[in-house]
Amino acid sequence: MAPYGSVALYLCVALAAALLFTVLPGLLAKPKPNAHKDEAYECGVEPTSSVSGRFPVRFYLIAMLFVVFDVEAASFYPWAVQMHALRMFGLLEMAVFVVVLGIGYAYVWKKGGFSWR
Amino acid sequence: MIANPTTQVDWNGIAPIITIAVTALVVPFADLFARTHAKRWVAILIGGLGTLLAAGLCAQQYGSTGTVFGGAFALGGFTVVFEEIVLLALFGSLLLFATTMQERRVGGSVALMLWSACGALLMAGASNLMTVFLGIELLSLALYCLCGMNDRPASRESALKYLVLSSTASGFMLLGMALLFGASGSVALSSLTLGGLATSSFLWSGSALFFVGLAFKMSLAPFHAWSPDVYEGAPMPVTAFMSVATKAATLAVLARFLYAALPTGMSSAFLLPIWILAGLSMLVGNLGMLAQTDLKRLLAYSGVAQAGYLLVALAGTTALGLRYAIYYLVAYAIMNLGAFSVAAALSDEKEAGSALSAYHALASRRPYLAAMMSLFLLALAGLPPTAGFLGKILLLSTGVATGYWWLAVLLILGTAISLFAYAKIIRAMYARPDGKAQPELPVAPWPAMISIALYGIALVVMTFYPLTPSNIVPFVR
Amino acid sequence: MDLTVLPVALGDYIGLSLVIFFIGVAGIALRRNPLIVLMSIELMWNAANLLFITFARVYMNNAGHIFAFLVITVAAAEAAIGLAIVVVVFRNAKNVDVDDVRILRG
Repeated sequence: MAPYGSVALYLCVALAAALLFTVLPGLLAKPKPNAHKDEAYECGVEPTSSVSGRFPVRFYLIAMLFVVFDVEAASFYPWAVQMHALRMFGLLEMAVFVVVLGIGYAYVWKKGGFSWR
Repeated sequence: MIANPTTQVDWNGIAPIITIAVTALVVPFADLFARTHAKRWVAILIGGLGTLLAAGLCAQQYGSTGTVFGGAFALGGFTVVFEEIVLLALFGSLLLFATTMQERRVGGSVALMLWSACGALLMAGASNLMTVFLGIELLSLALYCLCGMNDRPASRESALKYLVLSSTASGFMLLGMALLFGASGSVALSSLTLGGLATSSFLWSGSALFFVGLAFKMSLAPFHAWSPDVYEGAPMPVTAFMSVATKAATLAVLARFLYAALPTGMSSAFLLPIWILAGLSMLVGNLGMLAQTDLKRLLAYSGVAQAGYLLVALAGTTALGLRYAIYYLVAYAIMNLGAFSVAAALSDEKEAGSALSAYHALASRRPYLAAMMSLFLLALAGLPPTAGFLGKILLLSTGVATGYWWLAVLLILGTAISLFAYAKIIRAMYARPDGKAQPELPVAPWPAMISIALYGIALVVMTFYPLTPSNIVPFVR
Repeated sequence: MDLTVLPVALGDYIGLSLVIFFIGVAGIALRRNPLIVLMSIELMWNAANLLFITFARVYMNNAGHIFAFLVITVAAAEAAIGLAIVVVVFRNAKNVDVDDVRILRG
């Protein structure tokens, strides 16, 4: 298990540090409770409902489109590594890939997938 | 320095797939710019023409051999036969869009179905693990969307159910593929045939997980629980396509694995679990059919049983068995498409033809459709004068010849059970009208009627000319 | 197979991969939120990825790396479709819980 020794040490230090910073203030500081301390921080109005509430379904749709167009960029990496060896052929192949992706993009656009209704 | 690692042969080999992919890109755009009331027929027409072109290109590949793209895709008769079955399923299902599905959804659905077929075509020729994975995922991802294409809540929910369960199965299969890669150090299926691998624990565990994934996609019991719900929830053309194309493509992968990728000196105990699953499927599928009130659910259970029948032919992995399995698969494709076409001819957007109650006394109102439906149901049950009968005889003969007599017994038992379910529908169709007011039946367009007739003729003709590709086995590798 | 290229034993990589895989399986079996279920599926797929990368190193075969790339992109497409389906299923529902999906009989 020798190779894992440093990992174990790292985990121990991280745990100790986290414990230290959460436990120490409670031990050292003298508790002086008053009503103002329980209020919402600094400024603004009192929250009237749970903060982690619902948010529009639009966010999910945008996130979904983002994930697709974002991660497909991973397909560029294998080409980028072999770009010099593949020359024109590789470039054309990637062009085809981008065109197909572009067609998808245009379709989403025309269908109104990007409009914030 | 390689400027172009591909040759003309490579591109010719996957020409059918490219054709379908390009069609799938054209269809949604034609749909965007078509006039509102032309959308349905524009999509069906473009999709159908693309499919026919692909089928023509595909047929030319029959005599070729070898693999293309560095061993990723195998050419030859085996691939071509399965590709043509997928294209048949695609064409037949595209026709069903004529009556079912709302006009504004047809374009997108046709495009997705074409992509799905692309995946199935890839699976038909896949000769390394990457192509298998890519094919299965392309097929499934498009199907998830297609399942949710109706406004009914059941449709949406079937899509979610299918997505979660199928992706989980893909996860198992992917881990299996990783272990298979670990066994041989190569993603090529042919690299697994090395004799030294017969006792490799990576190969055994990897194949087991791989088979679990395939069994799920093929809806073999006990991995079939998703199929009745998904078949019922999905729109009718999608159900028709799914029932044929998924089974055909998965069978192609399974057959290639069994015939071309097993290490030399592998014991037959290695494959025993698959045959047990086949036997279980025949029982579970046929018993499940008895209690159904919905045609799509009934055909889902029927599909579970038929998947079991198909595997009986592969037990013993003989050359003759593979020929007979392909014959039965073609027959199954035609009878299933036929049954769904009749159901679609009785349906509109609401899919009334899906409920079995719609078939009560059908013979007095639509004698032609009732007669054809009876023929397709007889074929599914495996009775003469249909290809289903001859197919079952051939399956039985291989089961007995290879010593898997217990599978043959289960096949007969399953057929006997299924007769009750099929006969119940035929009896209902020819019952006297009970006087209750029946909903108005829609009038199906003529292409639907003609395709139903063609399926019926094909089923009968196949009985007298049992065309099985005789030289298929050399092409598997 | 050349095990000397690995800093730790091959069995450790396989063990870690299996642990991640079964965390994913447990997540699918036990959690009811479809978003968590989708994340668990990703976990299963990525466990397989880890194995692919490991064996690619052991065999010095880049096919494993390419396969991992393929899995990542397909997983992204799968997640996007999953998210879309979750949105249409639960558009009119109050909670997001797979147990509420009850119209289809098991």
